[in-house]
Amino acid sequence: MEFLAETFRTAIALILSLDGEVVTAVATSISVALWSILFATLAGVPAGVAVGITEFPGKRLVITILNTLMALPTVVVGLAVYGIISRQGPLGELGILFTPKAMIIGQTVLAIPIVANFTLSTVKGADPRIIPTALTLGAGPFQSVLQLAKELRFGIMAAVIAGFGRVIAEVGVAMMLGGNIRGYTRTMTTAIAMETGKGEFALGLALGIILMAVALLVNLFLNILQQR
Amino acid sequence: MKILSRFLFAVTTFIMLCTVASAEDRLKMSTTTSTQDSGLLKVLLPPFENKANCKVDVVAVGTGQALKLGEAGDVDVVFVHARKLEDKFVADGFGVNRKDVMYNDFVVIGPKGDPAGIAKAKTAAEALKLIAAKQSSFISRGDKSGTHTKEQELWKSAGIEPKGSWYVEAGQGMGPVITMATERQAYTLADRGTYNAYKGQKTDLAILFQGEKGLFNPYGIIAVNPKKFPHVKHDLAMKLIDFVTGAEGQKIIADYKAHGEPVFFIYKK
Amino acid sequence: MNALYRLIGIRKSHGQRTVLAIDDLALYPGKLYTLTGANGAGKTTLLNLLALLTPPCGGELRYEEEPVRWSNAALLPLRRQVTLLHQSPYLFDGIVFTNVAFGLKLRGIRGEEKQRRVKQALELVGLPGFGQRRARELSGGEAQRVAMARALALEPKVLLLDEPLANVDRATSEYLEGVIAALPGRGTTVIMTTHDPEHPGRLGGELIHLVAGELACRI
Repeated sequence: MEFLAETFRTAIALILSLDGEVVTAVATSISVALWSILFATLAGVPAGVAVGITEFPGKRLVITILNTLMALPTVVVGLAVYGIISRQGPLGELGILFTPKAMIIGQTVLAIPIVANFTLSTVKGADPRIIPTALTLGAGPFQSVLQLAKELRFGIMAAVIAGFGRVIAEVGVAMMLGGNIRGYTRTMTTAIAMETGKGEFALGLALGIILMAVALLVNLFLNILQQR
Repeated sequence: MKILSRFLFAVTTFIMLCTVASAEDRLKMSTTTSTQDSGLLKVLLPPFENKANCKVDVVAVGTGQALKLGEAGDVDVVFVHARKLEDKFVADGFGVNRKDVMYNDFVVIGPKGDPAGIAKAKTAAEALKLIAAKQSSFISRGDKSGTHTKEQELWKSAGIEPKGSWYVEAGQGMGPVITMATERQAYTLADRGTYNAYKGQKTDLAILFQGEKGLFNPYGIIAVNPKKFPHVKHDLAMKLIDFVTGAEGQKIIADYKAHGEPVFFIYKK
Repeated sequence: MNALYRLIGIRKSHGQRTVLAIDDLALYPGKLYTLTGANGAGKTTLLNLLALLTPPCGGELRYEEEPVRWSNAALLPLRRQVTLLHQSPYLFDGIVFTNVAFGLKLRGIRGEEKQRRVKQALELVGLPGFGQRRARELSGGEAQRVAMARALALEPKVLLLDEPLANVDRATSEYLEGVIAALPGRGTTVIMTTHDPEHPGRLGGELIHLVAGELACRI
């Protein structure tokens, strides 16, 4: 008990003093997650909308695959991307292994199915009159889909935030592709894993508290959006 | 609402730029967990980074993986401790210009009570034999690191193939293994540097066997061969090698102390 | 006189069931048609066809004596002359003004002209000054009127109405009846479905009665 209380006090002190290592890890985590979610949104939202509004053979299969990909283990994504961007891999030329770019690629792959799936279910639950209404008022096919997205903006925002929640909390991709480089690719999660292993519980706990706070905020946001 | 969202947008953009705006030269170095966990790199690298106006990206893994990263061309320089593997790395053409940097030694640490009685052993191999005979818990790095390689050599010379529930392969770095051994009150082979950094606050394990010649632990630094991998930052890698083996770097290494005790030793010139 | 719509051998079926089978029908501009028939007689299907939303399974539809080509590029300019008002219309999230201006913006009508048309349309349906109200907070009758205004603002050649007076209160119903009855005089052809047996008589114009997807009689 004494140990935990003491660790907790040190952790709080570390957060309040804006310890350099803590701040850098938090900034890296959030920055990488934001970039990933930006790209995942650009790919996942159109994909989710497209699957949602069109009928085509094999649609059920596509949805099943998307659902499966949602549960993609982070280490598998890490492994696959590692193989591609290592110097020996097909994209080795770029030399981006162990950089934030590598983490962004991995986390983007991780987030796309989530963003696409949440978007898809929002579209499936949308009012079926939206697109016909836009069409009868003179919208083209693209404009009517745009209007659909506009009507569903809260649902789509929820999809994006859900994706963000997933990548900010993951450790597999960040560790394997980022390499946990101090001050460069060390994120909250990789730092927690490392510091705990090293017995630096206070630092790990400090980051854990911040991560929990971020997760809490994300979920709060998500709840508000889903109630609209 | 509008002001709030503008503010959020500005903050978001700023944070996003943090990761991409680093225009400095970056040198990638793979190294063993012991150099990082002992805290040495935190004092050794910043002066070099200032001088060469670059950042050294440290990927801390086991020696085996550190060399593998060099063989793949994913790093520019490797800083490891497993002499035989290092020589093979150079002989196979992956590395050039291997230099001795420093040394320390391995120690067998374990619970103060020393249930297997290894303090009386004459050689490291004998100490391991006693542990195996008593089936006392032993945590192995199990990660193909320099320490793991050394441990396997010792078991071999003891003529024992460690197996059973008492022998735990952790698959983790030096620091985590010391933490694990502390939690489980088990024996383990550690490098003195990391152990010194952990002694006291983080571990109550004691050094129970030390001082044998076979436990010598030399560290070497090797540049990845630019003929094999033209993309590596060879010039910068050579600058780093010159720095750590030069007067300034050697002084930092010799002066570095954890809990008042030196962690690594430099070769007398 | 040139017909506005001409349907020749039109067939539409869902699976095995034929929902629409019209061999020959011509609809003329500047008129008001009331479309009656039991539930499932094909009224809504016919409206969706005339709104150029769903193609027929067979036969030919002509618009202003030109066969309709069912490709997105060819449909868009035609769709901009025809507007369909659903039975329970959908209003976009936001204020009434953006709803009524929606189709105008798509047609590149901006600025003062847009303001004028929205204002006029809202006045026409009896909701002057409703521009800044939130669409989702309107009553059923008000929403129906806004949807009508949204269609009227476009000054369409053809206004297709699916049971426009079914789900509204008496006052709204009577008010909209007056608005609809006046449209042909303003150059808009109206084709509306209805359940109310009194409508055809009261509104005047022509009656089209469907039975099981087929033309039963025309008065």
